[in-house]
Amino acid sequence: MDKAMVELLARRAGLEKALTEFPEDVAAAAEQASGSVARMKAPANPRAEPWPPMRTGAGL
Amino acid sequence: MSGLHWMTAAAAARAIAAGELSPVELMKALLARIARLDPKLNVFIRLDGDAAMAAARAAEAEIASGRSRGPLHGVPVGIKDIIDVAGLPTTCHSKLLIDNVAAADAVCVSHLRGAGAIVLGKLSTHEFAIGGPSFDLPWPPARNPWNPDHHPGGSSSGSGSGVAAGLFPMALGSDTGGSVRNPASACGIVGLKPTYGLVSRRGVFPLSFTLDHIGPLTRTVTDNALMLDVLAGHDPLDPGSAAVPSGRYASGLERGVRGMRIGFIRHFHETDVPADPEVAAGLEQAARTLQSLGAQISDVRLPTLGEFGAVNRVILQSEAWAIHGPWLRERPGDYGRLARRRLLPGAFISAGDYVQAARRRLEMIAAVEAALREVDVLLCASAMDPPSRIEDAAETERTYPRQARTPFNVTGHPALAMMAGLSSDGLPLSLQLVGRNFAEATLFQVARAWERAAGIDEKHPAIG
Repeated sequence: MDKAMVELLARRAGLEKALTEFPEDVAAAAEQASGSVARMKAPANPRAEPWPPMRTGAGL
Repeated sequence: MSGLHWMTAAAAARAIAAGELSPVELMKALLARIARLDPKLNVFIRLDGDAAMAAARAAEAEIASGRSRGPLHGVPVGIKDIIDVAGLPTTCHSKLLIDNVAAADAVCVSHLRGAGAIVLGKLSTHEFAIGGPSFDLPWPPARNPWNPDHHPGGSSSGSGSGVAAGLFPMALGSDTGGSVRNPASACGIVGLKPTYGLVSRRGVFPLSFTLDHIGPLTRTVTDNALMLDVLAGHDPLDPGSAAVPSGRYASGLERGVRGMRIGFIRHFHETDVPADPEVAAGLEQAARTLQSLGAQISDVRLPTLGEFGAVNRVILQSEAWAIHGPWLRERPGDYGRLARRRLLPGAFISAGDYVQAARRRLEMIAAVEAALREVDVLLCASAMDPPSRIEDAAETERTYPRQARTPFNVTGHPALAMMAGLSSDGLPLSLQLVGRNFAEATLFQVARAWERAAGIDEKHPAIG
């Protein structure tokens, strides 16, 4: 992720202050997030449901 | 009575109930040990010694008058400082919550008190249960009693260090990516992440709603089962709580493993994340020992640690961002550097990525369920390395993700970490046992067989 994209996404997330005070941490976070997403395989079945499934219960 | 600090919770509870041990004498011994060792180990954020001593006196009077509160009457317990204890601050080891006094006990604390346990105080953690050993926070990080130059694991650092050092026989921790099992591994004790939903999370500061678990840390398997007996149970006000029967976790502890089928997940430590040779040797030794006790060992394959780790991070960071986003926007400088770096990634993960991770998660749950239809219990690595030197930030950063604990936060299956032996440097090595959902009793049965065969409940650090 290039610097301009990181700044754009950080501002959209409301992180102007972090971007000013801790730009290296913001850049490292963006890199880590894209790395995690890239390493995740898509489900093999396009109809795969997420976990936890929708449910009802006494506490809801 | 000498050596009270190594007394197990079960032995202390029995002796107290029989009138052979005064809870006041036990508390005095532990408070004296805490005064001597805590300055080296930084286990406590807040020691509540006066209240603990008053509770010990009350317990003594109750027992003398024939009144028993429960199976832990008079036994001290430490509480990780993300868990509410009424009247004490829940700081999460962070400047952000330094004055956050809890109005009520968390449900897990309430269960322990109901069984007669006495809260000693609040224990060090990684900031918000995620930061790592940090030196830029209001309190120093806990240290490892086997060698205080080393990291005690985390994030339930004070819980692991304090139990291993004999400051208290049992503690509560939380586990979102391995935070009960990591300190159990690094400190050579027993740490359980129960099945998701078995122990209420109400009153615990969240890190990731669908990955968070509360679990016991103890020096023995028996104590862990005893604690889980008290902690487990349905809580209708915790949306993740499971309405299942619970209890009697210690009933089959001595049954052994003859005829039991144990699946060994070798690829985790052999190819996915190659382990330190001493860790690998410890795992092989445990497998051989369990086999010699009558278990059938077979190889099992699951998705790789890399795949599990990616799903865990996407879910954890997304859910943690939902909690921490407002503070990260307004007060980023009030976090320590490590927590800030580990919480910010959620800002860069899309809703689609999160849902995709949740869908992949269901496939991973199915893979573990399929494996557990063929075997009774899984054996695998916990930490791939002995604990790092705490002030070597690069080594801690390198070794921190080298573990096999996150898969079972993703899938929710119960997982227990314990000592596999000691390294040539005298530091704990570890293993992990994983069971079917809500089959903690079977996990304890295997863990107890290994504990007894290896004599690891007799191994304590030489500190003090």
